[in-house]
Amino acid sequence: MPDVSVVVIVYNDAGRLPTAVQSVLGQTYQSVEVLIVDDCSKDRSFQVAKELEAAHPGRVRAFQLPENSGGCGAPRNYGISEALGAYVMFLDSDDVLEKNACRNMIAAAERTDADLVSGMCVRVYVDSRHAKTVEWYPWLYSRSRTIESITELPDLLVFDTLSTNKCYRRSFVLEHNLQFPVGIHYEDLLFSAQAYVAAGRIALIPNHVYFWNISEKASTKSISNRRHEIANFEHRVEIHRRVDELLQANGYEDLKFHKDVKFLKHDLVLHLRDLPLVDHEYRREFRDLADAYLAAVAPDAYDEVQPFQAICAYLLRRNDWANLLPAAQALASPGKLTSSLVERDGRVYWCAEHLDDPEGARILDVTGLGYHTRPLTSFSLGNRLTSYLDNGVGKVRLSGSVVNPLGRVTADAKLAGTLELRARRTSLQSFRFPLTSLAHDGDALKWTAEADIAGTLRPLGVIDAVWDVWVNLEVDGETLRTRVAVGSIDVDSAHALQVRPRLSRLVADRIKPSASKKGNLSYVLAAESRLSARTQNLIQHALQSKAADLTKTSLRKVRKAKKDLHSGRTKIRVYHEVFSKLPVKKGLVVFESHLGKQYSDSPKAIYEEMRRQGVQFKAVWSYAGNQPTGFPDDVTLVKRWSYPYLRALAQAEFWIDNQGFPLKLTKRDETTYIQTWHGSALKRMGFHEPRLKLRSRAGQDDFQRTLDRFDHFLIRSEHDAETLAKGFRLRPEVLTRTGYPRNDKLVAARKREAETGSRERGALAAELGIDEAKTVLLYAPTFRANAQGTVKRFEPPFDVEDFAWRFGDRYTLLIRSHYLNQVVLPPSVQGRVLDVTGLHDITPLLALADGLITDYSSVMFDYSLLDRPMIFFAYDYEEYANETRGTYFDLREKAPGPVVTTESELFAAIDELKATDTEYAEARRRFVAGFGEYDQGDAAQQIVAKFFTSGSGK
Amino acid sequence: MTEQTATAGGRDIFFVSNSFDELGGVTTWSHQMARLFLERGHRIHIVGITDSDVPQDLGCRLPYPTTTLYEVRPPKVGPALGLKGKLNLVARLRRAARTAGMHEQATKLSRMFNAARPGAVVIVTQVWAMEWVRLADTSNVTVIGMSHESYEYSKATSRFGRVKKYFAEADHLLLLTQEDADLWIRQGLDNVGYMPNPLPFMPDEPSQRTEKVVLSMGRLTDQKGIDMLLDAWAEAAPLNPDWVLQIYGDGEDEEALKKQCTHLGLDSSVEWRGRTGDVPGALRGGSVFVQSSRGEGFPLALMEAMAAAVPCAAFDCAPGVREIIRDGEDGLLAAPGNTHELAQRLNTLMSDQELRDQMGELARKNIQRYTTDEIVRRWEELFAFLER
Repeated sequence: MPDVSVVVIVYNDAGRLPTAVQSVLGQTYQSVEVLIVDDCSKDRSFQVAKELEAAHPGRVRAFQLPENSGGCGAPRNYGISEALGAYVMFLDSDDVLEKNACRNMIAAAERTDADLVSGMCVRVYVDSRHAKTVEWYPWLYSRSRTIESITELPDLLVFDTLSTNKCYRRSFVLEHNLQFPVGIHYEDLLFSAQAYVAAGRIALIPNHVYFWNISEKASTKSISNRRHEIANFEHRVEIHRRVDELLQANGYEDLKFHKDVKFLKHDLVLHLRDLPLVDHEYRREFRDLADAYLAAVAPDAYDEVQPFQAICAYLLRRNDWANLLPAAQALASPGKLTSSLVERDGRVYWCAEHLDDPEGARILDVTGLGYHTRPLTSFSLGNRLTSYLDNGVGKVRLSGSVVNPLGRVTADAKLAGTLELRARRTSLQSFRFPLTSLAHDGDALKWTAEADIAGTLRPLGVIDAVWDVWVNLEVDGETLRTRVAVGSIDVDSAHALQVRPRLSRLVADRIKPSASKKGNLSYVLAAESRLSARTQNLIQHALQSKAADLTKTSLRKVRKAKKDLHSGRTKIRVYHEVFSKLPVKKGLVVFESHLGKQYSDSPKAIYEEMRRQGVQFKAVWSYAGNQPTGFPDDVTLVKRWSYPYLRALAQAEFWIDNQGFPLKLTKRDETTYIQTWHGSALKRMGFHEPRLKLRSRAGQDDFQRTLDRFDHFLIRSEHDAETLAKGFRLRPEVLTRTGYPRNDKLVAARKREAETGSRERGALAAELGIDEAKTVLLYAPTFRANAQGTVKRFEPPFDVEDFAWRFGDRYTLLIRSHYLNQVVLPPSVQGRVLDVTGLHDITPLLALADGLITDYSSVMFDYSLLDRPMIFFAYDYEEYANETRGTYFDLREKAPGPVVTTESELFAAIDELKATDTEYAEARRRFVAGFGEYDQGDAAQQIVAKFFTSGSGK
Repeated sequence: MTEQTATAGGRDIFFVSNSFDELGGVTTWSHQMARLFLERGHRIHIVGITDSDVPQDLGCRLPYPTTTLYEVRPPKVGPALGLKGKLNLVARLRRAARTAGMHEQATKLSRMFNAARPGAVVIVTQVWAMEWVRLADTSNVTVIGMSHESYEYSKATSRFGRVKKYFAEADHLLLLTQEDADLWIRQGLDNVGYMPNPLPFMPDEPSQRTEKVVLSMGRLTDQKGIDMLLDAWAEAAPLNPDWVLQIYGDGEDEEALKKQCTHLGLDSSVEWRGRTGDVPGALRGGSVFVQSSRGEGFPLALMEAMAAAVPCAAFDCAPGVREIIRDGEDGLLAAPGNTHELAQRLNTLMSDQELRDQMGELARKNIQRYTTDEIVRRWEELFAFLER
């Protein structure tokens, strides 16, 4: 008796059946039998099955159903009834098993005594160039695990609905009478759900067990051959209904909820994406089916899905097609904005309708997506074709409509634009035609363009067969690029236009408008004459030849060589072997702040002091990212890690930065490195951090070498000497007790205030439009990284709208999140809460703020120099202090201001900011004495005097 | 089941290692398993590819044959990198000679394997040795590869690529824990399983945990992280002034560590005991065991301590560690490198006698899932399973 019976079902697939069967017979686990069940094929499938039976007596048995069942259910059920093994598995004739699949499944079954073992399925795209593979829900299979009930892992039931990547104990299948439903598609969904629910124990293994071969011929479907899909959807909904009943009968409400979420996220989305492309009748039927099912979906499920998934489902139920279709388009193309949006009571909504329904208002609220604050260039605006005309030969006339979200393209904006045809695959060429008109029209922008395609467009042919249509809008000098959605315009029946490819008309002679997969307008080269059709075939054939492969390989090599030239390894070598051999240039100073991300902090303060004193030097500033903004004009800018940057570093007389120049670069002895550092430490640093302690000796030595590059390390107190300097194992002579140059301005502000008795606000307040009468509060939290060091997403830990409502008449709140994070503020708080994250330098903000709210950021040490009120919103202190790496002192003991942990405590502290302030004056004095004794306002001057005035040595 | 038929008269079991007697854990393990299999009636043959740099004292005459393939060490050649490497004629010749030599030695292996009775098993204890086994005729035997270290530890070495390449050709690859096995599976190996190491001994007389002594045992090398133990001890010792830390072992870092100890002002509470021949005796004299390693596989030291009913505090540096210690139940774990946390765990155990007793007794009970009987049973079960 075999241990495992594998049921292989086949229908009209005689060609592939032997491969599937062989994948079972060739298993490393020998005790396996194959049951081939033919669903009454019209081809030779059954004969082939019989031949396999004859070739492998005792290991293969062949069966045939008396009549075709039209699905997978009936043949599998038959297979179950004939199986003899202790375990049963299912395989489709077009797929294969991994060769260790049975061994790994049986090992897991015997080890865990599970009724059901499931392994990872891999989708193989057989038509793709390199048989691309994609793992099916790998997160479910990241490790071996055993669950006693499906309620421990609802995602398994919700997502892995396949029956084939599993091994079932046959007695379990029989005992629970597990059967596939017959006469309906998606039979796997119900079968797997039944099995999951019935199983006493389920084992999951991370092994690949099943290769699901997928052939996707790239023909785009026309509306007519989508008709069957509505039937599919009907089956899908019906199966879901049966699964829901099953769950309900077993009292698994929680699983039903997870399933609802998945229905909104996945099942519905599959069809929603197509909605803009299908006809009216399809939409009506789809809507009726979906609505009936959505009625039973838990309202809370909408909160668990992406905004557009919820918005689409909601609008579908409301039968609001005018707003649904743009939403479906936004869903299909992330980053696309297809609605003009509305603003109501300080919130931004997808549309003006349904806002009186509380559920509608909640779901349609898109304030969090930041459409009102992010630059228009950061998303692509929806552009819909409104008419398409051609002269049948080569000229077209198009018009369309672009959304204007919240009227952000103002009536007085300067407008211009072009229509662009651009090859999709190789962007060697593009052809532009000026728009003939572009103007505001209600809440949209209307445009028209005329293009002589036959006369202008010169594709190469073959390699640039698809040309995408773009409309580029010039709004006050900024370019907004948009794709043109075909919408309800029937371009399929438009004329093919003449075209003359550069490779001659033998390769193609026509170009036809068509809708891309996502519904955007493109032109596709076509061969209409018989001669060019033949050439096309020849070329396609040639492209798959050996010679073509060779060409492609050489192309890849050239591309790799180019990549290597710009790889970090090559650059580091050039730095050491070439640039470092060049002479050091006297007076060349390279500045960098926060790895090039800012023009700020002590490097900036030193730079400005050098300029003020008229020091003769050549300033090079490093920047990160693509476009440096906010740096001074009279410096040389070099992009971090570029060759000019490396060369400047190799030849510099001075390196000045606050975090660290690339660790792999050795500093030359002739170069002096002034490390200003960027803040006193609360958290353990350097070799006081577990992750560094854990490094091997060699790894620690590597790190020490990068630290030993510092010739001077600025500190602001003996606290720094005890913490940072020891954590970095710095030599005592490296410590430079000047205080931080960046804080000179704060010390000066404090002195001025003491002398004059009044606080000056300066230019920044006016720039930000801050009301004279209001008290300015700055909220500057530190960033939070998880244990792996990845920065977490930032959400203000209190309700900014509540803050604005309660304190807006007295305070202006400035929010500065870490530069790696982004905040989105609703329009309702405008003028009362401002996002100042984009400003390079925090020091002017500190000088401006009448009070500071922070958590553990080192700004606390700097701000205390101003002797102004501080609030410590330490809502996750325990986690912050203990979970990752520990602190040097307990903030709660030394904080020179109230330490609060909840929003209401925070608001109470803000309310009493002035009243309680005197209480903390003494604590602040002690804080400054302990952490900022060397910050006396002349740090930059000391540095300049020491290094940069004539006669000063290093 | 085929178990009875295959084991009647025992199986032929080959161990193939880098060398049969090089100093280290794998050699100790191989000979321990060899003796255990021998007792069960199997026929054993231990094969080394070459001789060892530092041989281990294996005591008197071994009760099974050993063979060393190479009489003279095979030449060392790196891989040909880039154009320059490909054009290096000397290296090319040496590489060719080495390959020819490998085939020659593999032929010897083929002869041994082909002479074996049906059901024979070849256990390849190290991936280097697999480079020869894969060239041999293995049609008559089941090849089981092994990696005796954690996935993370392999990942930092050249073994990572070699395990993926060469052990993919074995019938089965054994890791020390399921967690390690899963990580290799996710690297694309689908022939992977796991097998823990057996407990070396079960002391008759466990520790009574009456002495105020924390024990550390291990070589004084970077990997064992004694530097971090001293940092942790500097935090924990002042809270428990009547306790001492006994550090057993010797090694290249001894001097530096003693200097660090003095520098931290711990000389009065740390005793350097050197290497001991009496592990059970040493364990009886302690109440808490500490391990502060940077990396481990399936650490015997923890198993021995637990068998002696001494509760452990350890860095959770490998799957093998969390497999042996059930955190909070029969021992305590700390985040790797977090010396503050390790100090807290030590403090917890030092300051609570009741907890110590409870965890120590449970440790002695729980560790018996790795007794030699149990592990041999699992091996024999695996041999039979791989024949199904």
